[in-house]
Amino acid sequence: MITIQSLTKSFGKQEVLKSIDLQVQKGEVVVILGPSGSGKTTLLRCLNFLERPDGGKVSIGDLQVNCKKPSKQEIYDLRKKTAMVFQHYNLFKHKTVLENVMEGLVIVQKQSKLKAREKSVQVLEKVGLAEKLNAYPSQLSGGQQQRVGIARALALEPEVILFDEPTSALDPELVGEVLSVIRKIAKEGITMIVVTHEMNFAMDVSNHVIFMDGGVIVEEGTPTEIFRTPKEERTRQFLKRITPELTYDI
Amino acid sequence: MNTSFQLSYVFDFLFKLLGYVQITLFIVASSIVLGLVVGLVLALPRMYQVPLLKQLSAVFVSFFRGTPVLIQLFLIYFGVPELLKVVNIDVTKAPVLLFVILTYTLNSGAFLSEIIRGAVAAVDRGQVEAAYAVGMSKYQAFVRIMLPQALSVSIPIFANKVLANLKETSLAFTLGLMDINGKAQSLGSLTNHFVESYIALSALYFVMAILIEQLFLWWERRMHRHEQGYISPLQELKFSHTARRLRDQKEDALFNSTQGLS
Repeated sequence: MITIQSLTKSFGKQEVLKSIDLQVQKGEVVVILGPSGSGKTTLLRCLNFLERPDGGKVSIGDLQVNCKKPSKQEIYDLRKKTAMVFQHYNLFKHKTVLENVMEGLVIVQKQSKLKAREKSVQVLEKVGLAEKLNAYPSQLSGGQQQRVGIARALALEPEVILFDEPTSALDPELVGEVLSVIRKIAKEGITMIVVTHEMNFAMDVSNHVIFMDGGVIVEEGTPTEIFRTPKEERTRQFLKRITPELTYDI
Repeated sequence: MNTSFQLSYVFDFLFKLLGYVQITLFIVASSIVLGLVVGLVLALPRMYQVPLLKQLSAVFVSFFRGTPVLIQLFLIYFGVPELLKVVNIDVTKAPVLLFVILTYTLNSGAFLSEIIRGAVAAVDRGQVEAAYAVGMSKYQAFVRIMLPQALSVSIPIFANKVLANLKETSLAFTLGLMDINGKAQSLGSLTNHFVESYIALSALYFVMAILIEQLFLWWERRMHRHEQGYISPLQELKFSHTARRLRDQKEDALFNSTQGLS
C-alpha cells in the first residue's frame, strides 16, 4: 500500500538517506530500528514532507508523488493520508484535549462540529482520556499528553500513522500506558510505521522490522528473523549493544 | 484677575476636558488597529525571509524607532502634502487628525512588527509541524496555531505600546489638534490657571492608563487560562509563601525521621 522508491535526502553535504526502497502492506505494523543518526526519523518525516526529500518517489494508496517536484496539492494530499505522533507530543497548547483532536477534523476534513466532536470523544475514550476532554495539555502528564497525540492522529482515520519515537521523551513509568494504547490500535489493523527504541514492543507488536544504519536499510524481515537470526554483522552488533540479554536468551 | 490656586478650577477643567477624551482615545485605538496591520505587513517579509522587502522593512522599522515621535509628526504633517503635490494631489485641506493618525499608525506599526516577530519566534516549531502533519495549510497553521499563542505571549509588551501611544498622543497639540492636551493648554492660557489645568489633565491621563492597564491584565489572564498554575504576581507571592511552609514542614519531617534511624 505504501511504496518508497530510491528516496534520497541530504542536509547540506551530509547524505542522510541514500536511496531508500521500502514496501509496506496494508495493516502492517512496521518498526524502524537503528542507531541515532541513521536516518530513521528523517525517513519518517519525508513520508509526510515535514522534511522535503531530494529525490525518489513516495506513493500511498492511489497517490503517487515524485519527490523532485511535488506540487503543493500533492503534499497536502499526502499529509491528509497520513498522521503523525511526535516525540514531544506537539499538542496545541492553547486548545483543550477535545479541541486538539477536533481541530484537524473541522479545519482540514471540513466535518461538522457535531460530527467531529462525536468522533473525537469516541477516540479519546479509546485512549482512556474520556475524563480529560476539557483539560489543557499543560494539566496532563506526559503519558496522557502522548495519548492525546495518538487520539489526534487516530481521529483523522489516516491510511497510515507515523510514530516518531513516541515514548522517548516519557518518564519510564509512563512508557507502559502509551505502549499499551499503541498495541491496542495495532490490533485493530491500522497500518503503522514506528520509529522506536522499545525492543520488547518491536518484538511483540510489529510484523515487519527494518534496521537502518548510515542512511541505508541494512536489513529487513519479520521480528523473529531480525531479532533471533540477523544476517548482517551490523544488525547483530546493534542488537547486542541495545539488548544484551537477548544473546543469552538464544 | 485672581490667578492663585483654586481647587474648583480643577473640577471645572476636568469636566470640560471629558468632552475631548474621545478624540484622544480615537487616535490611540485607530493607530493601534491600523498599526497592527502595518506591523504584520512589516513583520511577514522578515519572518519568511523575502529578499529586498526584508531590508526595506528593516530600514522602515529602524527609522520609526530611531526618531522622536514629535519629529515624525512634523515630518508627516509637512512632508506628505509636499510629496503628494508631486503627483498632483492636494491634501492641504485635509484635517490635522488624519496626519496625526497616520503618524501614530506608522510609528506603532514599526514597534508592533518587532513585537510580532519576537512573539511568533516564541511559539514552538513542533506545534506548527503538528498542524502541517494534520494537513493544514501554511495560512491555517499561522492563523489557528501560531497567531493565538503569539498574541497571548505578547500581551504585556503590546500593552506597553498602547499605553505609550496614549501618552504620546499629547504631542499632537503641537500641530494644533484639539485633543485633551490641546484643550488643557487653551483652558490654561484662557484663565491663567495653568496648574489646575495640568492637574486635571494628568489625572485624566492617569485614569485612562489605569483602565487600559486593567483591561490588558484581564485579557492576559483570559488568554493564559490554558497554562496550568498561571498566576498573577500577587497570588504568586501568597503561593510561594505556602510553598515554602510546606517544604519546610517536609524537610522537618525528613529530618525527624532520619533522627530516629541513628
